[in-house]
Amino acid sequence: MINTNGLARRFGDVTAVEDLHLEVEKGEVFGFLGPNGAGKTTTIRMLAALIAPTSGEATVAGLRIGQENREIRQHVGVLTETPGLYKRLSAIDNLLFFAKLYGVSEPQKQAERYLRLFELWDRRDDLAGTLSKGMRQKLAIARAMLHEPQILFLDEPTAGLDPEAAKVVRNLIETLRTRERTIFLCTHNLDEADRLCDRVALFNTRLVAVGRPQELKERLYGRRTVIHLVNPAPGIEESIDLPFVKKTERVDNTLVVSLSNPEEENPLLVSRLVELGAKIQYVNELRVSLEDLYLDLMEDNNAPN
Amino acid sequence: MHRISVILLKEWRESLRNKMILFGAIFLPLFMVGAAVMMVYQGKGIDVPGAQIALFNTALMYFLILPAVIPLAIAAYSIIGEKEQGSLEPLLATPISDLELFLGKALASVIPALILTWGSFGLFLGVSILFIGGIPPHALTPPWIAAIFGLSPLLSLFSVGVTMLVSSRASDARAAYQVSSLAILPGIVPLIIYTSRKTLVNLWLVGVEGLVLLAASSIVLYFAIKVFRREQILTRWK
Repeated sequence: MINTNGLARRFGDVTAVEDLHLEVEKGEVFGFLGPNGAGKTTTIRMLAALIAPTSGEATVAGLRIGQENREIRQHVGVLTETPGLYKRLSAIDNLLFFAKLYGVSEPQKQAERYLRLFELWDRRDDLAGTLSKGMRQKLAIARAMLHEPQILFLDEPTAGLDPEAAKVVRNLIETLRTRERTIFLCTHNLDEADRLCDRVALFNTRLVAVGRPQELKERLYGRRTVIHLVNPAPGIEESIDLPFVKKTERVDNTLVVSLSNPEEENPLLVSRLVELGAKIQYVNELRVSLEDLYLDLMEDNNAPN
Repeated sequence: MHRISVILLKEWRESLRNKMILFGAIFLPLFMVGAAVMMVYQGKGIDVPGAQIALFNTALMYFLILPAVIPLAIAAYSIIGEKEQGSLEPLLATPISDLELFLGKALASVIPALILTWGSFGLFLGVSILFIGGIPPHALTPPWIAAIFGLSPLLSLFSVGVTMLVSSRASDARAAYQVSSLAILPGIVPLIIYTSRKTLVNLWLVGVEGLVLLAASSIVLYFAIKVFRREQILTRWK
């Protein structure tokens, strides 16, 4: 659905995006993660045919940026960082205006559909400026989806929303995934990205890493089993001596053991520890959060890609 | 064309809810009509040859200032308002072309300016004829009519072009309005010519001013359209 080949954008001497190679599949929720100023918004702007790349090429929904910009804009929906609503227009007038610009065949019906979906129907005649922050964000998302785009670029869709409204948005993203819509999601909420995204790209002017969140974690940290012991003997971690154990670390009464196939290796490991006289309290898999991965990779851009 | 009208109607809907624009669009023409009527009324009592015509022609000047002043607030808000609300990017993300967007916004200012100018000119003539004994003979000459109907669109276009250029760099509607007010100056040219008494306002002068305004408007609009490109708006506008 989205293919970029060496996409780059410079503003004078400043490089905002460098040599970006990406492939996003149809129906995929793709997380685009990076710090402020990393070039995420510039990337979205290039892919939404709002600004031209300095070099490189890209296709969006099969259309070439720079050559079929108007068609691209017809096929994508963009939620910008700020809701950007017309505060002096009512909620429904905001949607009708955009529905007409996108050439939606039944603007009134479509506006009603999305207002109801986001539970804003009762507030349809209220000026957008009088709506709460959460309502404005929902209205902006409705606006981005109004013309049923194949690809949605969502820049911080849950920023500033209360937990309930954020959940509505997340559920909506899940629903869109089942409808084969492609979602390009920029977020600082890494827990949200971990839960929602099929794949994530970590980006800081250049692509740092891309893959499924779990895959990336395994690639960077491997798979680790945590074993809590009761008063373990000194040096027990060195006595394990099993060929499949890659690394063993001990922190107080806890062992962290790196393995490649814990499903098969854990029983052998536990037997070995019992053999060594250890009393086992708990055995868990060490779950690394996307946040840990993000912070480690951003700190060291030489991480695997 | 469809998208231009969508922009146009949206601009008007927003303008109707903006007190600053409404005040300018309603109060200013009424004030000008009142002032012009008062001037003609005062001339009635003066028994100096040519005095009544002079006052009437000065009153007509107001209707050359209106087409330049009325669009200022609408055009300034139309750009600065979008900036303040952060609504430019979602708007630019639609399939609308840069030119359609520009024309929609420009016409949203020019059309009301012309309707209000010509409407208030009609009101002025009506009040003068019905309530203060008519128009002095030889006062409303073809050059003046040509100026009011022929120069008004050009004055409005020039004013809108200047305002859009200024607004692209400004972040405050009032500041943009004040700087753009300089666009009124070409509307005062006939008054300067008339009051300096070098010559009477004639068709040749109106034609020359029309050509100068056409050239000036074309230049200003050329740059305004150039500034009004997606890339420029998203990367250069403040």
